[in-house]
Amino acid sequence: MAIITIEGKEFEVDGDGFLQNPEIWNDEVARLLAKADGISELNEKHWMIIHLIRNHWLETNMAPMIRKLCQTTSMRLREIYELFPKGPAKGACKIAGLPKPNGCV
Amino acid sequence: MEGLIYLDNSATAYPKPKEVYDFMFNFYKENGVSPGRSGYDLCIATEEMVSETRKILTELFNGTDPNRLTFNYNASDSLNMIVDGILRKGDHVITSNLEHNSVLRPLYHKMHDGVIEVTYIPFNEKGYIDPDEVKKAFRKNTRMVILNHASNVIGTIQPVAQVGKYCKEAGILFAIDASQSAGIVNIDMKAMNIDMLAFTGHKCLMGPTGIGGLCIAENIDIKGSRFGGTGVRSAQKTHLVEFPYRMECGTQNIIGIAGLYAGQKWLREKGIENIHKQEIALWDKLRKELQKIENVITYCADSSENHIAVLSFNIRGIEAGEVGTMLDVDHNIACRTGLQCAPIVHEQMGTDKIHGTVRFGIGPFNTDEHINTAIEAVKEIASLSKK
Repeated sequence: MAIITIEGKEFEVDGDGFLQNPEIWNDEVARLLAKADGISELNEKHWMIIHLIRNHWLETNMAPMIRKLCQTTSMRLREIYELFPKGPAKGACKIAGLPKPNGCV
Repeated sequence: MEGLIYLDNSATAYPKPKEVYDFMFNFYKENGVSPGRSGYDLCIATEEMVSETRKILTELFNGTDPNRLTFNYNASDSLNMIVDGILRKGDHVITSNLEHNSVLRPLYHKMHDGVIEVTYIPFNEKGYIDPDEVKKAFRKNTRMVILNHASNVIGTIQPVAQVGKYCKEAGILFAIDASQSAGIVNIDMKAMNIDMLAFTGHKCLMGPTGIGGLCIAENIDIKGSRFGGTGVRSAQKTHLVEFPYRMECGTQNIIGIAGLYAGQKWLREKGIENIHKQEIALWDKLRKELQKIENVITYCADSSENHIAVLSFNIRGIEAGEVGTMLDVDHNIACRTGLQCAPIVHEQMGTDKIHGTVRFGIGPFNTDEHINTAIEAVKEIASLSKK
């Protein structure tokens, strides 16, 4: 476990930077985690993906499958990589406050 | 799957020829009984098909006796049987860094248990084993050389004839893993001095999964490692030592053998050389075009000579798994990523540290259009490269 500090706020994270306590997540935490990943501003598309991943996880305790994510958002995976340069699993899921996904996304 | 471009033929050839599906279904429907167990017509017809398949596969490999062509699950199963059936306490084995886990793991277990010693021969920068390096590794207690014939990661075909010659001169047994080569590369067990050949059915032989086998040369005394029903001499307490019974037990996989039978008919009609020529022409185009793309790295793909149509590559700055997912989701292209069950190949190339490579495996049903689409897809993904 490690502690990262973003804009003066401390977060407990695992070795890959995923929140240790996903329940502390909110939009402000997402904004800060995105900043730590080099995304200075989250736009409408970012939020759509973040909330979709977050809601799927809250309902199923799993991250959505990548193909499903692309189908639901009508986006190509390439576009998701352009929004989240670390990709859907290491980027978007982390910013959505999920624990590190094992497979799926 | 509609619109799918399948470039994972090195894992399993797909689709299979229609003739194979039809024959498997019809044969099993009409003759799906235990072969050789009784004297009624269906039983005899089934046994005839099994015997004929032994015969045509023995011809394919230029083996000696069709009874020494035995069936089991796959190449991994065959290689386990070779390792268990040949090696004894104190033996030394030579293998290579090109091996699949189907060779590495059976050997590792014997080594870990203190039964054998193993020497691994590295490949050169072009992906080939030097037979002289194999010869230099011979020891007094070297019992066997076991070598990958064609790499499932980089596609290079190894100089097995020269290794076989050295083994014969030294009185060392020589086994090959022909998983990627059987059915696409000419193999002559007699001319190449191959004592044991392990094959699987579901790749270039155009059969289904779950069927494979061993072709064992004359005078090779391999110990059976599984025992049970044979359908003959049932009163005998121990398993039969005659081939093929020695290496088989229980009722054979009839539908699988039927697939091999029909696959052989199809391959003979098309001609192995013709199929290889067609596949390697597509491979050559693919590798040349990928090598032109900025940030794309190909591995051991300088020439189509002594090569099967398998291409490993990476895009700088993007993990192989991510490239594979983008090929799948955005371009409907199926391929394999990661270590491809051959970890030492990647250790030697340094690609183990970056989670392996992306692998395209071209099959007989791939077209020029498929390759063009794959090239464009890689180009598009490479434009995301973070370098």
